[in-house]
Amino acid sequence: MIPLTYYLILSSIVFTIGLYGIMSQRNGVRLLMSVELMLNSANINLVAFSSYNDDMSGQVFTLFSIALAAAEAVIGFAILLSIFRMRNMINIDDINILRW
Amino acid sequence: MTNYMLLAPELILTLVALTTMMVGLFIGKNKTILGYFASIGLVAALSLTVSSLNANETLFYGTLTIDALSQFFKIVFISVSLLVTIASIKYTENDQNADSFFTLLLFSTIGMMVVASANDLVTLFVGFELASLSTYALAGFDKKDPKSIEAAMKYFIIGSLSSALMLFGISFVYGMTGTTSIPGIAENAGALVGSPVGLIAVVMLIAGFGFKMALVPFHMWAPDTYQGAPTVVSALLAAGSKKMGFVAAFRVFVVALAVLSPTWQTAFAILAVITMTLGNVVAISQTSVKRMLAYSSVAQAGYIAMAFAVMTPMAFAGGILYTLSHAFMKTGAFLVVAVVGYMVLSDNKNAKDIDHIDNFKGLSKRMPFTAFAMMVFVFALSGIPPTAGYISKFVLFSSTIEAGLVWLAVIAILNSAISLYYYARVVKYMYFLPAIGGKVSEPAPYAIALILALAGVLVIGIWPEPFVYWAMEAAKVLI
Repeated sequence: MIPLTYYLILSSIVFTIGLYGIMSQRNGVRLLMSVELMLNSANINLVAFSSYNDDMSGQVFTLFSIALAAAEAVIGFAILLSIFRMRNMINIDDINILRW
Repeated sequence: MTNYMLLAPELILTLVALTTMMVGLFIGKNKTILGYFASIGLVAALSLTVSSLNANETLFYGTLTIDALSQFFKIVFISVSLLVTIASIKYTENDQNADSFFTLLLFSTIGMMVVASANDLVTLFVGFELASLSTYALAGFDKKDPKSIEAAMKYFIIGSLSSALMLFGISFVYGMTGTTSIPGIAENAGALVGSPVGLIAVVMLIAGFGFKMALVPFHMWAPDTYQGAPTVVSALLAAGSKKMGFVAAFRVFVVALAVLSPTWQTAFAILAVITMTLGNVVAISQTSVKRMLAYSSVAQAGYIAMAFAVMTPMAFAGGILYTLSHAFMKTGAFLVVAVVGYMVLSDNKNAKDIDHIDNFKGLSKRMPFTAFAMMVFVFALSGIPPTAGYISKFVLFSSTIEAGLVWLAVIAILNSAISLYYYARVVKYMYFLPAIGGKVSEPAPYAIALILALAGVLVIGIWPEPFVYWAMEAAKVLI
């Protein structure tokens, strides 16, 4: 059986990649992908803990969070789409009418 | 046997929201009636919540709890939503998508209400996401306006980052305590004390909720989003969605993770100080009234966060009462900006920068009632008696001094003094500068919403005893 720590290390690596992606990427779709990575790292945690604690509620939580992540992506793409219709690009660096 | 009467407000709102969505598909161009329908549903939900004010029960295998705290916050959310809905009847006039607007508004209210009575982290997360997803779409509702889309974009990215951080924190809490139920976590939270995992969980959760509450340094999205979003939606975000962050933090930190309080108490004290200072200082230099109100709302979040740092029953009562007063003051102030925007647009259809402070010049001549309402709201926000803002600040600050945190109270009072400058500037523009243009009468929906908000601010200010008592009842759930 794979020790719990391995799962936690995996999830922290995935989480860090996602966080780095949010900080560094400027393309809207890549940002969404980074957010998904972060959510999924939490899902890995939940399932691993659920399996090691012998408690089902973590896995049920994961099902909920997968569904919510899908809904979130839909809203995100809808917003990106309306930006694309207006400006023909989704580089979020250029979206800067509102500042200070 | 589950007592469904306790859940009736949520059920009624869900029904109204779904009906609004379906009926909206079939009726023609004029969708104003849906706004009235949504308002009636909200009034019904409000009266049902008031009727079960003293309930204390857990429902659905302990996933939802109905207690004084949840009922208090539900009333805050429903009142904000009601004011926004009434005002939106005018805002969405002649709008093809009015049905989606009201549906999303109701769904976000339901999400906030679920968070208020969540007794399990799964319920809390689902409610949080329901409210967030609906408000992302609402912020970008004016999809022809680049500002609105930009506001939605920023809100969405930061919001989804915050839910990811929150979920990551929750996963560690679940892993160490072996349960997602909030009372269950409170029993087993000993496992988190002194462990690095507990620290990571607390940091992630503070960041996750902090983004929603717009505490500095997690506030960057708030001014942009409040400025860019349609003004009625900014009112909902500042007065409703932000309170959802607070009630979630009350449930998770104060109830579930109480044993970790030395860790998060200091963090909240520091966050409160930098939040109120930065919010007030930056608000001084704003020329857009909407953005100024956004920064003032950041500062107000700093005051409310003091309750977490003080951690006495009286401080919690002050913080909770502050959320109620802030709901009325801030919704009212944003609705005034919406009325002024309506006035400017009726002067000149292609006006730019409709929320600029120059548009408030001589408002007392052009719209005497709106100007008076705005004066009351900004004075309430700065804490001048006899308004709701004064009472809640009084309870909160005096409890801080009682608890021995005099330095914190002094910083908060100095901040209130700073804030008076930019609030008084709005009053100066409205009352002492000459008007450009003639008298304009307020559209009825806006006027009704303003009267209700004004009534809320003044009633709490003039007759505070029942409200303070009620907030103390709610605070008893926490400690």
